[in-house]
Amino acid sequence: MTPQPALAILRAQAVHLGFDRPVLGPLSLEVPTGARWALTGPNGIGKSLLLKAITGQARVHAGALELGPAARVSLLAQDHPRRQPWPLCGHDWFRAMGATAPGQPRVQALLNRRLDRLSGGQWQLLRLAAALHSGTHQLPQERLILLDEPANHLDAEVRGDAVELIATLPTGATLVMTSHDDDFLRAVGAENHPLTDYLDAR
Amino acid sequence: MLGDLLFVPFVAGLLITVVLALAGAGLFLRGSVWQALALGQWAAAGGVLASVLHWPVLPVALVLGAGVMALLQRSPDRERLPLAVFLAGLAAVTLLAANFPQASLAAAAWAEGQLYFAGPHELWAVVALGVASLMLAPGLYRVWRYAQVAPDVPAAPAPPAWLRLTEIGWLVAAVVLGSMVLGLPAALATLLLPAWGAAYLARNLRGLFLWAQAIALAGFLIAWSLSLPLDQPFAPVLVLTHAALALGARLVALAR
Repeated sequence: MTPQPALAILRAQAVHLGFDRPVLGPLSLEVPTGARWALTGPNGIGKSLLLKAITGQARVHAGALELGPAARVSLLAQDHPRRQPWPLCGHDWFRAMGATAPGQPRVQALLNRRLDRLSGGQWQLLRLAAALHSGTHQLPQERLILLDEPANHLDAEVRGDAVELIATLPTGATLVMTSHDDDFLRAVGAENHPLTDYLDAR
Repeated sequence: MLGDLLFVPFVAGLLITVVLALAGAGLFLRGSVWQALALGQWAAAGGVLASVLHWPVLPVALVLGAGVMALLQRSPDRERLPLAVFLAGLAAVTLLAANFPQASLAAAAWAEGQLYFAGPHELWAVVALGVASLMLAPGLYRVWRYAQVAPDVPAAPAPPAWLRLTEIGWLVAAVVLGSMVLGLPAALATLLLPAWGAAYLARNLRGLFLWAQAIALAGFLIAWSLSLPLDQPFAPVLVLTHAALALGARLVALAR
């Protein structure tokens, strides 16, 4: 008996992606459920655009981009500028993200602090923790977590916590991330997938 | 004060202050303060137009306010378009006032505020809006909280479209009725300034709502107790009081 291939949680077939006009494609790929993918490639190739198209923030101009039937997607965007003043605390952020805060002491220490008074590294760690723990009431195999450059802004103090948060994702949950930080990708155990490998006209 | 001629205006003013402070916190969280200016100005234009046409004021103001909000919601421009719409509303009121004597009186009433003349009709409308606000508060809170997360995306579903439309309709009703009861400048001051001051003092989202209510109510009570004995119009006293309280909140936050 041959083993069943893992079902895809995300499938793209000859998609052309962009905002007002298509700028990426045709692109075809299948992300198996439970995979840990790192999409790599030079700046401007379209890694962030693909993540935005998956969440509906960018347009699919042609082709088909399909999620698994019960899939729920969370996204850590590349940047999240904070307004000043912004009277939200860490607890508010987790509630807004529909997430339960993990028990990590460094994340717990941020929950009662105002978001506009966190350092850049603390803010990135809090957002990362919330994106990873958003939708935890769902089955792990229904969760697709997209992280766009999660290592950005992480200083040495919180980098280890970020790696630990990603590494402890439940088996079955799918992770697709982009990063230029090879050490970080190795530390979280992500498979390297150059985006150019999935461009049909390569 | 029960039985006093000023009882109805006092209660109507107090209740609309609570509603406007809630709406102001919501507008602050949405980053939509310019929209409030445009919406309020066109509510006033609707009121002045109604006086010319001899139509009931509230429905006309609500229709124009809703039209403006629908237009502004369709554009991602959060500053220039609302400012242009605000200026167009100001021009519309000025032109109406210049050409129709009754419009001139109505424009003055919307600009100066007419809280002391609020009657049972205004009071019941404010009570109805207050009850609706209490019932809608959890949904409004959900919409405003969700508005904070972009460009991140949570796995939890977004608030449904009907809830987002209800929130917009409620904001329109709050700004229109607030402008009708307090006058446009006083309503805008109650919307914008307490939430601004509260944003510096609050430790979290819940604190923003509580501080906004506290500052708005304190401002109303101070302005009421100053304007009557000093025989001053209520609206400008309220605007100055709110400005002073918001500035005070900013200074207190800096000193912490």
